[in-house]
Amino acid sequence: MPELRCLQESFAAALANATHARTQAGLFQGKPEDAAGRLALYRGNLFAAAKKALGSAFPITVKIIGAEFFEGLAREYMRRYPSVNGDLNDYGEALPRFVAEFAHTQDLPYLPDVTRMEWLAHRAYYAKDAQSFDLNRLASISGNAQAELHPVLAPSFALLESRWPIARIWQVHQDDYAGEFSVDFDAGPERILISRPLFRVEVTSISAGAFRFLQGAQRGASIARSLDAALAEEPDFDFAVVFPVWISAGVIVGLEQ
Amino acid sequence: MTDRAVPAAAPLGVGIGLRAAHYQDFLAGRPQVSWLEVHSENYFGEGGYDLHVLNQVRADYPISLHGVGLGLGSVEGIDPGHISRLRRLADAIDPAFVSEHLCWARALGRHFNDLLPLPYTEEALGLMVARVQHLQETLRRRILIENISSYVSFRASEFSEGEFIAELARRAGCGVLLDVNNLYVNQINHGSDAIAAMNAIAIDAVGEIHLSGHLVTDKCLIDTHGDRVAEPVWALYAAALARFGPVPTLIEWDTEIPPLETLLTESRRAEAARKQYLRA
Repeated sequence: MPELRCLQESFAAALANATHARTQAGLFQGKPEDAAGRLALYRGNLFAAAKKALGSAFPITVKIIGAEFFEGLAREYMRRYPSVNGDLNDYGEALPRFVAEFAHTQDLPYLPDVTRMEWLAHRAYYAKDAQSFDLNRLASISGNAQAELHPVLAPSFALLESRWPIARIWQVHQDDYAGEFSVDFDAGPERILISRPLFRVEVTSISAGAFRFLQGAQRGASIARSLDAALAEEPDFDFAVVFPVWISAGVIVGLEQ
Repeated sequence: MTDRAVPAAAPLGVGIGLRAAHYQDFLAGRPQVSWLEVHSENYFGEGGYDLHVLNQVRADYPISLHGVGLGLGSVEGIDPGHISRLRRLADAIDPAFVSEHLCWARALGRHFNDLLPLPYTEEALGLMVARVQHLQETLRRRILIENISSYVSFRASEFSEGEFIAELARRAGCGVLLDVNNLYVNQINHGSDAIAAMNAIAIDAVGEIHLSGHLVTDKCLIDTHGDRVAEPVWALYAAALARFGPVPTLIEWDTEIPPLETLLTESRRAEAARKQYLRA
């Protein structure tokens, strides 16, 4: 299909790059300068759609850097990482990489981790609903045998480790947060758990041992093996306390042989 | 191939587009609308709140799945993953209608997330027919194809918009989702003839009508879906009803979404117009 392909590629080039718009204007009815103006409308629509998608995936980033600055960032991101997907809810995966390199965000060293957290939360929001944990089945297995089972994690589950207090940053930017708006950036590294008990995504700061345990579970290790790793990291790690919490919060949704 | 309207849709009246801003209205009560249409891609996730809401409301209303991101007419190809997600959604929701646009979106390895116009050529027609047939086979159902509004028109076109759509419906065996506002926007932007476009389309090909608002600028009309339906568009709707009968009709609103009551007011006006064409 040479002609239609050529036409779509010329149109695409004019949308991707304004400097091509004038040279492609001859494809269209009417005066070339009018066509160039109309092509600018399409470019405006495309940018507005991409900016809206990024803003809804990265709301905390927007709040941190401000809507006006975010617009400039989104424009540059779209130029470097254009959409390749018909579903804009999938757009923005490379933003953490982008902000890590973007010259104008270098004074916000925590921003790459904030965007990593937001992308994981965005994916968690659309993740498959978790099955509910079958406690009856657990009761039928002896304590020793239980230790050899492998935890099944919810589809929304994610972990992230950062040298910045990103769970705190998440907390103070929630719409219903009523406490003091303060973040201690020297609070030290933070390990976070991303979960979605029902439909709202939650970000929780967890201990080093809890993080090791869940990381083991994520790799498919048994309870016993993950527990060893957790205790090596944090001798006081209390599995008996956190395990029921993870079950009721929908983090661990089953146990497998 | 016959042009019978999509699933003998006579019982459906006037619906509205379900948007997140109105989820609570539909979860808390049962607003008076005949059916609801959603953008398919907003429910492509495997789970989560949006899908939960859709599963709740489908108990009370017939649902129409309206795709905005497939870009059926892209020479470079369409994303098989997109089609399989659409199929998963359609299998789960059992919609009254599935519709897509007469447009393209993919080229140069990119996806342009907009509804880009095709030239009305024999080559484009052949491509669209093949793509629509493929989608209908994959989904195992007849689909509706919507005419779009556009800001440019091509020198290369060999058909009028109405002729192209009519021929697509005839050859592919799909139905037409007639967007009356888009016909009007194109009439102003390109000097095409909205009534002639409607007259070109077979009477029983139209399975759904869209009504929405546009924005008037000094350059051209912009299809914002962000306002009440304009008076000239209501007049064209009356002409559409006169030709195609009391086809299921949708009030679409996508930007600066007002309280639900505003949409219900618009839908009552459409229903009053539509009722005049219902056979006793």
